[in-house]
Amino acid sequence: MSHPNLHDLKPSDRTLLMLMERVVPAEDRADWLRTWYAELWHLRHNTRRANLSLSIGLMRDALWLRTESWRRAYTGTVVLCLVTLASLCVIATFISFAITGSARETFLYYGVRFPHFLIGAPFVVLVSFAMSPTRHVEQGSSARLRYWWKRQFFFSAKASLLLLLSFLFSADLFEAIHGAYPLTSDLLEIVAFVILALLGLRWSFLDQQTRCKQCLRSLTTPSRVGRPSHNLLEWNGTELLCRDGHGSLSVPEMETSWCQSSRWVYQDSIAS
Amino acid sequence: MLSTPRLSHTAALILKAISLGYCFGFDIMEVTGLPSGTVYPALRRLERDGLAASKWEAEDKATADNRPARRYYEITKAGKAAALAATERYPLLARLLPEKSR
Repeated sequence: MSHPNLHDLKPSDRTLLMLMERVVPAEDRADWLRTWYAELWHLRHNTRRANLSLSIGLMRDALWLRTESWRRAYTGTVVLCLVTLASLCVIATFISFAITGSARETFLYYGVRFPHFLIGAPFVVLVSFAMSPTRHVEQGSSARLRYWWKRQFFFSAKASLLLLLSFLFSADLFEAIHGAYPLTSDLLEIVAFVILALLGLRWSFLDQQTRCKQCLRSLTTPSRVGRPSHNLLEWNGTELLCRDGHGSLSVPEMETSWCQSSRWVYQDSIAS
Repeated sequence: MLSTPRLSHTAALILKAISLGYCFGFDIMEVTGLPSGTVYPALRRLERDGLAASKWEAEDKATADNRPARRYYEITKAGKAAALAATERYPLLARLLPEKSR
């Protein structure tokens, strides 16, 4: 594909095209440049449409390609999950800062409440593990220790951030009334922490189950397999795929004696 | 069976314009009255969702006319189904756009 001769264009269009070219992902750049060179060239040589302006369209098209490439790269990834949770923790701290009005007051307020968190968190974790979904995932091939460790690290980081977030938000919720009703606010804060942490950890378990066992990206393209009316004769349920092609997860609709749990199969096991 | 995607009014209007034969970006802008900042990203989304497909004009034809080749859009099979569903959902859509004279 030859690089278009931008000197055929108006100087303002040429400058805009060269500026926005940097925004477009490298793999789409040549195609994008060729497309917009042609659009601008035809607009310039078409007197009937001289009043049309493509500048906004050009900029929004480049920005769309950039955000789409980020969406493709980061949707469902470990990084996005942890960064989102960490950002929510920062937001919760800022909310407290807005209520108290000073950083020192905020940290003092959290500092007084932190022992409650240290006592409550192990109980919440214990209850969450006891109530965690019973379906376990079987390995389709020999155990892969490295991926197992990766999953445990991710789950620990996610659960820790969720506990911290529950603590920060529950503290923020009753901070305003703490001065007037200290005992009531302390009690409500503990209840709110327990509820938020239980819900958060429940989500964390469910989220962990629907991630690729190798790259830990959220699984996609759920598809129904089999017929519920044939439940006693054949498997039926939902199959999810890793978008990077590492494997597939089969989740049975109903637990039967011969299909009690979800089954993860690595792609190389399928091929072999 | 896969369900047809629910389109916004703007996306349905653009898809309808493609189905009527308006295949270039500013042809669509002109016939729909939508600004370029709406039309071009919407065309990308329709292409990503498999409702429209883009192709390049034949280079030799463009060279013979002494102009650069342009990217044009065509409606796909899934797009036709979505356009039909959108026409049922937005009955005035068909009246908004004139059939393109060939």
